Amino acid sequence: MQKRVRRYFFDFINGQEKWLNDMAKRGYRLKGCGMLTYDFESCQPNAFEYAVIFAGNLTNARAKDYQAYIETMGFRTFTKNIGLKYAFGKVKWRPYGKGFGQIATAPGNYNNELLILEKEQDGQPFELHTDAADQYESVKAVAMVYGWEVMMTAVLFALTFLPAAVNSTIALIWGIRGLLLILGILFGRPMVKSVREAKHLKDESRLYE
Amino acid sequence: MVKTIRDHAKGGALTETTFLVLLAVYQPNHGYGIMQFIDNETNGRVVLGAGTLYGALNTLVKKKWIRLVDSERDNKKKTYVITAIGREKAEEELKRMKAVLKLAASIVKGDGK
Repeated sequence: MQKRVRRYFFDFINGQEKWLNDMAKRGYRLKGCGMLTYDFESCQPNAFEYAVIFAGNLTNARAKDYQAYIETMGFRTFTKNIGLKYAFGKVKWRPYGKGFGQIATAPGNYNNELLILEKEQDGQPFELHTDAADQYESVKAVAMVYGWEVMMTAVLFALTFLPAAVNSTIALIWGIRGLLLILGILFGRPMVKSVREAKHLKDESRLYE
Repeated sequence: MVKTIRDHAKGGALTETTFLVLLAVYQPNHGYGIMQFIDNETNGRVVLGAGTLYGALNTLVKKKWIRLVDSERDNKKKTYVITAIGREKAEEELKRMKAVLKLAASIVKGDGK
């Protein structure tokens, strides 16, 4: 049986991963995904397990190399977007990227910031980063994305107080502020969680590898 | 993905991940083989995650401690082998560990000063 679900995750790592694993527990195996859609096919409940990793800080070439490497390790992979803007023939600056990873292109690594990994359920934990320093780096990269989104939302919120914006109708201006506040909370919660986790891992990495 | 070699500035200590990866490529080996080698040889004490291993391999190639096996360059499954520099680093680490072990044994077992 085929099933298509439309969904968007503000908590794009942990929230999305948990949902995919819940679907797998209910007997749905991921078959493909679009910007807002997930296609599933029926399978035995608990037959597969999913992990979502962030690759949006890598260059396009490095991200493709990483994906190819992951596949040689026996995982099935899917690329997934973080943002919701359709793009073609676009170049975008990503402040949270590393080196040339700060430049995202469409076609290329734009809208392919995440990798969804699938493995058969074998009773072993789905751990991709096992070294404390490595775990810290991967969580820090995610925290930086959330931080960027929260900062952009805060800047937009501040812009609503400019004289030109204040001249708009009160209902419109408060509607926009309310929407931005909700976005700030939606991105802010996973940001706080990631920052706390990164801090904990940094402390651990001083003691353990 | 990340730099996993955190050489101690003076002591030259390698991370366990780095040292084990170097040992795993004394014979040409690919990613999955390296993971299996480390898992087997440490009796499951160290199980490297694929992401951590990817970072370690890239850093080691960049530092020229390991290299891609020529005939395997175009293969999707990349095979790596240790270089002369890598062997030198592994030997230095073994020497360092022996010295640390000797010190620890003399103190922990009670025959230290």
